[in-house]
Amino acid sequence: MEILKNPNFDFLGKTRYFVAASLLIILAGVGYIAKYGLHYGVEFSGGTQLILKFQNPPQVDRIRDAVSKQAPGAVIQTYGDASKNQVLIRLAGALQGEVENAGRPVLDALKTSYAENPVVESSSEVVGPIVGAELRRKAIQLTVLGLLFQFIYIWFRFKGAVWGAAATVAVFHDVLVTLAFLAFFRYEITLNVIAALLTLVGYSVNDTIVIFDRARENLRHRRKDTLRAILNDSLNQTLTRTLISNGTTFLAVLGLYLFGGEVLRGFGFAMVIGILVGTYSTIYIASPFVIWWQGIKEKRPPAAKAAL
Amino acid sequence: MPPALQNPVTLWFVLTAALAAAAYFGLRQELRLRAVLYGSFLIACLVAIWPPYGKDGQPGKIHLGLDLRGGMHLVLQVMTDDALNATIDDAVQIVRDQATRKGITFGSVQRLDTTSFSVEGVEPARVKDAKAIVQDFFRDGWEIREPGDGRLLVKMTDLFVRQKKEQTVKEAIKTLERRVNQLGVAEPVIAAHGNQGDQILVQLPGVTDPEQAKRVIKTTAQLALKLVDDVSTSREALLQTTGGKVPDDKEVVEGQGDTPGQPVFYLVRREAVITGRDLKNARAGVDPQTNAPDVQFTLNPQGAEKFKRETGRNVGKRLAIILDGIVASAPTIQSQIAGEGVITGRFSATEADELSKVLRAGALPASLKYLQELTVGASLGKDSIRAGVMASAAGMAFITVFMLVYYKMSGLNAVVALTANLLILLGAMAYTGATLTLPGIAGIILTIGVGVDTNVLVFERIREELRNGRAVRAAITNGFERVWITILDTHATALIAAAFLFQFGTGPIKGFAVTLVMGLIANIFASYFVSKFLFEWVLGKRQVQTLSI
Repeated sequence: MEILKNPNFDFLGKTRYFVAASLLIILAGVGYIAKYGLHYGVEFSGGTQLILKFQNPPQVDRIRDAVSKQAPGAVIQTYGDASKNQVLIRLAGALQGEVENAGRPVLDALKTSYAENPVVESSSEVVGPIVGAELRRKAIQLTVLGLLFQFIYIWFRFKGAVWGAAATVAVFHDVLVTLAFLAFFRYEITLNVIAALLTLVGYSVNDTIVIFDRARENLRHRRKDTLRAILNDSLNQTLTRTLISNGTTFLAVLGLYLFGGEVLRGFGFAMVIGILVGTYSTIYIASPFVIWWQGIKEKRPPAAKAAL
Repeated sequence: MPPALQNPVTLWFVLTAALAAAAYFGLRQELRLRAVLYGSFLIACLVAIWPPYGKDGQPGKIHLGLDLRGGMHLVLQVMTDDALNATIDDAVQIVRDQATRKGITFGSVQRLDTTSFSVEGVEPARVKDAKAIVQDFFRDGWEIREPGDGRLLVKMTDLFVRQKKEQTVKEAIKTLERRVNQLGVAEPVIAAHGNQGDQILVQLPGVTDPEQAKRVIKTTAQLALKLVDDVSTSREALLQTTGGKVPDDKEVVEGQGDTPGQPVFYLVRREAVITGRDLKNARAGVDPQTNAPDVQFTLNPQGAEKFKRETGRNVGKRLAIILDGIVASAPTIQSQIAGEGVITGRFSATEADELSKVLRAGALPASLKYLQELTVGASLGKDSIRAGVMASAAGMAFITVFMLVYYKMSGLNAVVALTANLLILLGAMAYTGATLTLPGIAGIILTIGVGVDTNVLVFERIREELRNGRAVRAAITNGFERVWITILDTHATALIAAAFLFQFGTGPIKGFAVTLVMGLIANIFASYFVSKFLFEWVLGKRQVQTLSI
């Protein structure tokens, strides 16, 4: 069985529209984040979050009334499947006072004012301001370092900074677009989401490498052709692989998003978006970048030889 | 896991080296030898995994992280300044005693900040003697300056301060280990944490009473028994007899009075009769007369001797039992006491029990501050496992069907390779004691994705070779050879990203990184070497015209 027989699409013909679309999404994302900010999880913002399991189906309004004094302005909502009787309570603002027993007043208030439906199990997360700030710094630092090292690796392996730069720009694009989508859909930036972003840094560069690798191979045999033609052919030659591999991984992470439970919802979302964007960026960001770079370097129609 | 393998970098190298060796030597052997080599490797993995998770509370071979099995994750900051302050206080005391003993008159000896103290108003003729004392006692790690006017400034060197801080954190970790042992938690993690070096990470999987655990961990448990000179309901009244100033060799300590909310102040001797260090053992008990819970302790030989001497000398006086700077009780010494004593106070039975635990484990060298606290309920963890396994199984089932439909018999080859990949991944995790976290399950699903990618890369290349008119055997050999570089590069870049995930250092993400790294390495072995072997084995020595792909 074959999906495509000898595909021959002109991928690199209309790149400017795609690049413009990407820039538009990134700019919109940056603007949106600048205006509304990112939704940080407790790990990053610092603060208190409780997940309480009640004996019977909990009434969120009753809980809100019971803890209105101890937790003014708290986010209170059912958590996970309704049959689990779970409620998430996130106290407003950063942590006031000590980390120790930050959730205690809420639990005590529930014990007295909502006694008929006792809490049978509680999970909590309390993060002081130091930890949150340190983690934010670390997340950015590690993502940038990860990109840098990949850049160096690809530069070294492909013997040309252009390939490394193209792959890095594409991955950077993926991270930004995914972040924009996370912001649009108001997903919390948790540690898991950062893990997803760093995984994307690894995964989406895969795609780029597969295609560049093919281009490298083709360049050796077809010294007369333009770089553009070779890259376009490489994209076509690996298209089936791109569709199948990314399609299956996409479905696997879609499963994670749909069935992975509440904790992995953000992670799943970031991966679903990231894999789509990663596939797209290899074709419409990384490859045009290589051509563009060579064009600038030579100020004349890029020849294949120059890329080697 | 052997300690050497705890370091992720070492682990990474060992695993890579082992798989590379297996693959390399395997590749050059004839088929039968390769079958034995790969087969026994996979069987070893299966043995390492079985049983993956235990029944009836027995732990399985796969270690589950806190987020999956429930438990507590704490990040504590050691207030190292406490230990520095205590060092300076001790030094001040020594200088005072020595100067008095040598008959040197001085204005005052006092702490300036956490790392220095000053001696002021020394009679001009004896500044040299005073300096000699300081030099004698504080030779290493201290700097002495002499600005004139009979003043001496003594300061710890930066190096000494750093050593002191490190030592404090180390001691705190040791004390916490002893305390956590008494809580009966299996597989706890207690380790230094953070860039500053003054944080401690405590992980207590499956802990049943998080509140108690937190109390036992945080209590400083500095115990001191000091002789009481005077008692009063206010600080001012207490100091009337001494002219409003606390004498150098005494101090004022607060305690709880008979009426709640009404504190009582004790003027006590600065030097303790005994401290927590003199204890040999402590256990919770009950006062036979009042039935009130108390803590009974026994002293080590030196402590016992000192206690006997001091109590014998001070019969009729009161002895304040001071816990973390607060007087728990101040009983009157009825008669000479030798090797054991009782700490009474307004304890509940639980408090007495916890106090005996922390006294047994020893005091912390400095107080602790909670920076982060994470508790996960056991049922929340179970839900996560169920959801994760569901998602993985659904992904695997879909991929199996797809590969079989799309690549026919070769698809079966891919399914075998993927299964081998998972087997190696889980086997490596079980063998090394790596922890599986919820993001780790996501890592397994991604590993399946990467595995599919490798197979697809190979299969598409073989199809291409066949299209170009090559014979089956040559197509397979070429296909595998051509994609080798690509596979190497894609895995290397993914490993680079995973290596940075390690650096996060927090439980779940680290678990994810471990899974990714092991999965990537396992995948090269399974989807490349095992898969290649399968193709060659099935083809055998026959002349084949077509390939089901």
